[in-house]
Amino acid sequence: MNEAELRSAMGAHRWLQSLRLRDTLLTPGLKSEAQLREEEAALFDPLNLAGADVLEVGAANGAFSLAALRRGARRVLATDHLPWTLPGSDALSATQWAAHALGAPLETRAQDPRELSAAFGSFHLVLATACFEQWFNPILALRGLRSVTNRILLLETMQDALADARPIMMAQSHHAPIGGVQGSWVAGWAPNPPLMLQLLIDLGFDRILYRNHPSLGSARGIYAALLPEAPDGLLAGFAAPWANLTHPQG
Amino acid sequence: MALMSSFAPRLSDADLLARIQSYHWWHSIALREGLTTFGGKTEAILAQEEQALLSPFDLAGRSVIDIGAWNGYFSFAAKRRGAARVLATDSYIWNHPIWRGRETFDLARAELGLDVEALMLDPPQITPQLGLFDVVMFLGVFYHLYDPIEVMARLRGITRQLLLVETHSDLTDQARPGMVFYPGAILNQDATNWWGPNPATMLHLFLQLGFTRIFYRDHPTLGRARGIYAAFTPEVAEGLILRFDDNWRDLDVPGAIEALVTA
Ligand SMILES: C[S@@+](CC[C@H](N)C(=O)[O-])C[C@H]1O[C@@H](n2cnc3c(N)ncnc32)[C@H](O)[C@@H]1O
Repeated sequence: MNEAELRSAMGAHRWLQSLRLRDTLLTPGLKSEAQLREEEAALFDPLNLAGADVLEVGAANGAFSLAALRRGARRVLATDHLPWTLPGSDALSATQWAAHALGAPLETRAQDPRELSAAFGSFHLVLATACFEQWFNPILALRGLRSVTNRILLLETMQDALADARPIMMAQSHHAPIGGVQGSWVAGWAPNPPLMLQLLIDLGFDRILYRNHPSLGSARGIYAALLPEAPDGLLAGFAAPWANLTHPQG
Repeated sequence: MALMSSFAPRLSDADLLARIQSYHWWHSIALREGLTTFGGKTEAILAQEEQALLSPFDLAGRSVIDIGAWNGYFSFAAKRRGAARVLATDSYIWNHPIWRGRETFDLARAELGLDVEALMLDPPQITPQLGLFDVVMFLGVFYHLYDPIEVMARLRGITRQLLLVETHSDLTDQARPGMVFYPGAILNQDATNWWGPNPATMLHLFLQLGFTRIFYRDHPTLGRARGIYAAFTPEVAEGLILRFDDNWRDLDVPGAIEALVTA
């Protein structure tokens, strides 16, 4: 396809994320390329993805999955649930089309994270951004994510109840640009860091790192949670502003 | 109809007292004239709780399931209020080597001669195979569950008309829905306590699960620290509700949560 053809095919989709398809061709996504780039750096810069098997949950248009492939991941499976399955949704076909346009070997599958289990497979890295706030049952969804992780879970989420030292999550209902053109109401939760820490520990993660969102501060947080099987060497790339919540430095 | 007691030989008062004393009780239940179990909850408190929980409803002819029945006080109360079928369920306390809840329930049921069924059931195992119940009682259990959201969804699947919830509450000064997590044994030195939701959270869960009318009242003796919720499905029959007295408020109307928080 030449660029004009690409541009017209691109226009047939509604875009959640701004994906760079060519130097002069960017999908008109609701989330800007700049924000995606800074989030990608915050999430992936500490890690060496070469040869990794990666599962993304809540992939939207797959911006981070495509980034993982660019960073040398061996296999990347992008999944999403409501945005890919609600009546009238276009995000899965948009994502598949973008991967094709980029020539990226991205796998895709519609998947409810609550139904993930070990039978689904096992991934070095499991990534979920902006999901917690759309999970009606984050306890069950996190258990699903845990069951398919064999090294590290990266989780980016909206946060709330930051002034309280007790573990808390606040329920969120918001109108999201998913499903049909009019969008849909989605219910989920926003945790505070003490809650995330406790939920991740309860799932068996033994080293948990945290940083604020690169531009939105503590309104959103990023967690990296390592399983006991993950070598300590994985921690080397996590420099400030990352902080180790389970083993705070003296 | 004293179905069970007609087969078991009747215990002497002294033997019954000895049996009562061999167990720990949560509910104080009058088994015979002058022979009441020594529960952590007094008869007076239980009477107030029963009044608060059950008096708004006409249970005659209804099917009722009691999730986490323990010694069975509320199952027995529902039966006495005319329920056609009552199924008492529990697991944790019923299987507990010290609390021996199932034995206490069986003793009380036999003595009272009430036709109440019993089923060993852990709330996370609730499935639609249980069938539909007009009234589902979920009293003092929500906060004991690591994943109460999943269990609430399962409860919705077995509720034909009314889900009655009593729970410890937290964040009650906040109009926004939130719940507090209690790791370890932080809440009341009890490692089986996990979550404290506020009324806004309960409203949120009920509405998300497809309950359409939700009523709330404070606990009759503990006030705002614990909440009582009556959540109705769209299929609720007119006759089920007798009257909500002034202690109850309609929670599913605009401004109700804000009014509750400032009340
Ligand atoms: C506070 S008692 C409430 C008893 C009775 N429904 C009442 O309101 O008086 C808590 C009940 O929840 C049950 N339960 C269910 N799941 C539980 C769990 N995971 N941990 C502890 N208790 C649990 C216990 O067996 C016990 O009967």
